[in-house]
Amino acid sequence: MASIDIQSIRKSFGTFPVLHGVDLTIRDGEFIVLVGPSGCGKSTLLRMIAGLEEVTSGEIRIDGKRVNDLPPKDRDIAMVFQSYALYPHMSVADNMSYSLRLRRSTKEKIASAVGGAAAKLGLEPLLERRPRALSGGQRQRVAMGRAIVRQPKAFLFDEPLSNLDARLREQMRAEIKKLHGDLRATSIYVTHDQIEAMTLADRIVAMHGGIVQQLGSPLELYDRPANLFVAGFIGSPGMNFFEGRYLVSGDHADLRLSNGTMLPIRKREGLESGSAATLGIRPEHVVLADNGALEAGVDLIEPTGFGIIMHVTIHGIPMKIFSQDRRMLKPGPAIRVDLPQDRLHLFDSEGKRVD
Amino acid sequence: MTFAAHPHAAKPLRKRIADASEPYLYSAPALVLIIGVMLVPLALGISYAFRDIQLLNPFSGGFIGLDHFRALGQDQAFFRALRNTLWWTGASVFLQFIFGLILALLLDKPFAGRGLVQALVFLPWAVPSFLAGLNWAWMFNPVIGPLPHWLHALGILDAPNNILSDPHLAMWGPIAANVWWGIPFFAITLLAALQAIPRDLYEAASIDGAGPVQRFVSITLPFLAPTIAITVLLRTVWVSNFADLIIVMTNGGPADRTQIVASYIFTQAFKRLDFGYASAIALVLLVLLLVYSLLIVLLRQTLLNKG
Repeated sequence: MASIDIQSIRKSFGTFPVLHGVDLTIRDGEFIVLVGPSGCGKSTLLRMIAGLEEVTSGEIRIDGKRVNDLPPKDRDIAMVFQSYALYPHMSVADNMSYSLRLRRSTKEKIASAVGGAAAKLGLEPLLERRPRALSGGQRQRVAMGRAIVRQPKAFLFDEPLSNLDARLREQMRAEIKKLHGDLRATSIYVTHDQIEAMTLADRIVAMHGGIVQQLGSPLELYDRPANLFVAGFIGSPGMNFFEGRYLVSGDHADLRLSNGTMLPIRKREGLESGSAATLGIRPEHVVLADNGALEAGVDLIEPTGFGIIMHVTIHGIPMKIFSQDRRMLKPGPAIRVDLPQDRLHLFDSEGKRVD
Repeated sequence: MTFAAHPHAAKPLRKRIADASEPYLYSAPALVLIIGVMLVPLALGISYAFRDIQLLNPFSGGFIGLDHFRALGQDQAFFRALRNTLWWTGASVFLQFIFGLILALLLDKPFAGRGLVQALVFLPWAVPSFLAGLNWAWMFNPVIGPLPHWLHALGILDAPNNILSDPHLAMWGPIAANVWWGIPFFAITLLAALQAIPRDLYEAASIDGAGPVQRFVSITLPFLAPTIAITVLLRTVWVSNFADLIIVMTNGGPADRTQIVASYIFTQAFKRLDFGYASAIALVLLVLLLVYSLLIVLLRQTLLNKG
């Protein structure tokens, strides 16, 4: 187990830049999730830590030791692949013991390591089988078993649950969390699924366009998104946005929409009156009230069982509301809502959060 | 309650015959072709082995039982040809395979101009074998070819002589030509098999701690094994029957030192015009190759079942 230090890492494929200088310090035993849409560079960053991609510039240190030029096998890390990458001609036991056999560990040590990992993951009845005789979930488990037998300095996960169905994904997610609780091993986990990111991470690294957008605990990202990208990416259904102008009058402020409607908001420091701004509010924070300040035309109702997602239009702007009020299954053509001021997020013209 | 009449009783005889023969009629065109083109000549050829057929003897053609095979048992030239066939086939296939594998591994790595090189590698395969044989025969000729001088300069030959006329070295001439001509087959088939191996297996292995040699042994070879088995089988049968290069380059000489069974059959049939005896030799070769193929197929099956 070890800390991992990443300093101003850049990566280009040919002349095409993929990562524009990433800094990240991962503490010993921490579970870090890299999250972002496809092509944001999260997998590339992980593969650079693993040693599968060359570093264009910058420095990676594992346990204080510079590993830029070390081959993967000398970095003492383990990786779980999206495709599992199990060796098809080897049994489950051989798959798990391969790394130990390469290191010429003793037979007793291999047997106890494989036995321990198999017990932890419930793989004992499958040890003699070949990967093709296993289900997706079992293969996933074997891939994790292969990673933990070696007790490496760090675990790298590259979208390990993407190939599983929703139910199994939920189950394996909990198992990974439990496993991390047992082993307390430094882990880096790449996913595009924000639920996985929120549930698993000690800290989330939200990435977009090869740049780290925000680094923080899951609730920090949810409660105080640093910019429009994070605000829109974290949370489901996604945050609603209103574009307009920030106007100060006395000791309170408003956002004026393009049609002239004034939405009252809290006054912020550091934003000049009259500048363009975007207001955001999460669907679950919109309050339904019979005497609400805004009228919303109802377009569509999506019942999820747990709650209701309402697609509405306010002043010509489409937005979503999440409610657990069953009466909203048949709301009528229009409802009235309030946007509570303490739930509003304000972003400046560059998309940066303003407090 | 009423019963429908028995269907057979209801149909007229002609309809029943038509129904019964329907599948045979559908398959008849293919079957007639296969029988006419493959089985009839095969049966005819096998029957020659038991008859005395000499083109220059108008009274020949009678059934002589196993006489040819008895003569074959005493024929020292045949046994030498058999040994030469083993040597020729073994060396050719082994070298073709090794160089083909190396070439495939090189072509599997990305580099600038790979597409062009992959196309060029296929080129020897497109050269007619007689042309290839003539070319190599000229290259080994010290008067016009450079090879004897190069081999002499490297100290491999004592003097820049034509190895094709040296009884101890002559076989290496056709083998060299055959290796050059046959490498593309192995390179292309093995390259296709290599490219079907998932890349992340290599990445997983390198993270697990495997070096290049260990990755080759524990991932590449197991994935290639079925392809290797089938291509080696095919090429062995092919090369042992492949007399073109030998006929063109040495014609079996000097002193029968490069005579293989296939070229011996050719000599018996088209030089001595003894078709009966040639057919008997061909039959023996056929049986030997069938046994060999059976063994390889069994081996491959056990390998696949194990995998």
